Amino acid sequence: MVRDRLKDYILYLSYLIIAVLFLFPLLWTLSISLKEISEIFSYPPKLLPATFKLDNYTQIINNSKILTFIYNSIKISFFTVVGTLAVTIPGAFAFSRFRFKFKKPILFGLLIFQMMSPLIIAIPLYNYFNMIGLLDTHLGIILVYVAIQIPFTTWLLKGSIDSVPASIDDAARIDGCSNFQLLTRVLIPIILPGISTAIIFNAIQSWAQFIIPFILLDNLNLFPVSLGIYNYQASGEAITIHLTAAASIFATIPTIIMFIVLQRFIVSALTAGAVKG
Amino acid sequence: MKERNFYKYITPLLLMLILFYLFPIVEVFRYSLTNIRLDKEIYSYGVSAYQYVLSNPNFWEMLKITIIFVFSSMFLQLFFGLIIATLIDEGERRNLKGTLVVRLIVLMAWVIPGVIIGVIWNLFLSEANYGILNYFIQLVFNTKISFLSSQDLALYSVIIANVWRGTAFSMIILYGGLKQISEELYEAASIDGASTLDKFFKITIPQLKPVIFINMVLITIYTFNTFDMIMALTGGGPGRSTEVISLNIYNTVFGHLELGRGSVLAVILFFINLSITLFYYNFVISEE
Repeated sequence: MVRDRLKDYILYLSYLIIAVLFLFPLLWTLSISLKEISEIFSYPPKLLPATFKLDNYTQIINNSKILTFIYNSIKISFFTVVGTLAVTIPGAFAFSRFRFKFKKPILFGLLIFQMMSPLIIAIPLYNYFNMIGLLDTHLGIILVYVAIQIPFTTWLLKGSIDSVPASIDDAARIDGCSNFQLLTRVLIPIILPGISTAIIFNAIQSWAQFIIPFILLDNLNLFPVSLGIYNYQASGEAITIHLTAAASIFATIPTIIMFIVLQRFIVSALTAGAVKG
Repeated sequence: MKERNFYKYITPLLLMLILFYLFPIVEVFRYSLTNIRLDKEIYSYGVSAYQYVLSNPNFWEMLKITIIFVFSSMFLQLFFGLIIATLIDEGERRNLKGTLVVRLIVLMAWVIPGVIIGVIWNLFLSEANYGILNYFIQLVFNTKISFLSSQDLALYSVIIANVWRGTAFSMIILYGGLKQISEELYEAASIDGASTLDKFFKITIPQLKPVIFINMVLITIYTFNTFDMIMALTGGGPGRSTEVISLNIYNTVFGHLELGRGSVLAVILFFINLSITLFYYNFVISEE
């Protein structure tokens, strides 16, 4: 009994250590964001801010474009999700329910595209967007975001539709459904959990996307929040440390909230990946 | 099923793939066989870009840095992921509280955008007054460590930050794998008198082999492609000590404007991605 208790305490201790290790850098940034400039540079540094001032936050909200950046990120993520689903739901339906040539090579292609660095496609796209006037536009980067989400989402939704037995299709056809009605009235409602998972992953990945806007955007007003934060940091003067910290926390809050709300989905999606690969 | 009809379902998808993947990939290959620059309209074909890149000692140094970064990250993420997953699994078997919270905390590091992780660790590892880690080191060892300004140390700092970010991914996948191991195996071993360590090395690890393998492959690919975190944390510096392949490509194309040479590097990255994907496909997916 005593030995068991000892093991329990050791486990709790290990949890504490892990929690501290994984939270500390984030909490330190939070601490900086709540301090005044003079406090930030004072030595020795204090873990807790002397006063919990939200001045830095009000400053970035009023004097910088952070709200614009957040709005841009939301807008881009939204249209990316819509565009991705519009393309992949029919596509996954076709892959799952129809037989055609080149299916296997295309699916394999999807796998390669998913594993490829976006940098590889961003370089020629920079050139071509420049020529056709899509450079430095939201439309341009949304198209690329959608392209990036397509491989993973197609696999995901194909898997969802695959797990719906063909007997359901047959029953629907007996009732007189066309392919389109089969998809929209019967299959989509059934695979809503898969679609939700797709939406979550698309949104999280689009929010975090950096390389694509970094290369394809130049106009500050169009920046998503990932680029905006990098911009703060890159402004070079030490004086912006407090603002960078505040902006980082501000930008992370939506992700963390979304994460806490949806963590069960995320965990189950990732662990399912462990089974199927 | 009416074969004609289904084309409309697949066409938008195929169109996107052709426009945004096939076409650009072909173009990158084409650029690599020219001496094209971003600021010049005219270019000619030839292998000069390949010759320049492959004979440049900086290239091989960069490759070495990239490989150290990738494989250190992978092993460490796997190692810590396994430890944490095991600790959490063990805690759950004993009905300890707080396992969910620990899981969430670790996972949180994974959902934060890479750029922001770079910014956070930049603040954390700084040698300035607000660099809290150096403050503690100063207290204990009476010296500061140049985490980010030393050419020798910067790469390790980048690796640590990357491991912090990526361990959650390994941990969750290994945790899923742990949950799949049948209890009976452990019970049979207990009856045979096996110790905890015995059980771990003779049952747990062998059972986890497929999961560990998938994990290794996925981490390797993701880490090769890492750009945002390193860009925000060190920008490739100091010097070029943390300029991994993705940053090298970016600097070559958009810094030096050498589109042809940058494309050579992009082709190389593509083949790295491709070979790991083929490996993954052969050993994992075709098992189904």
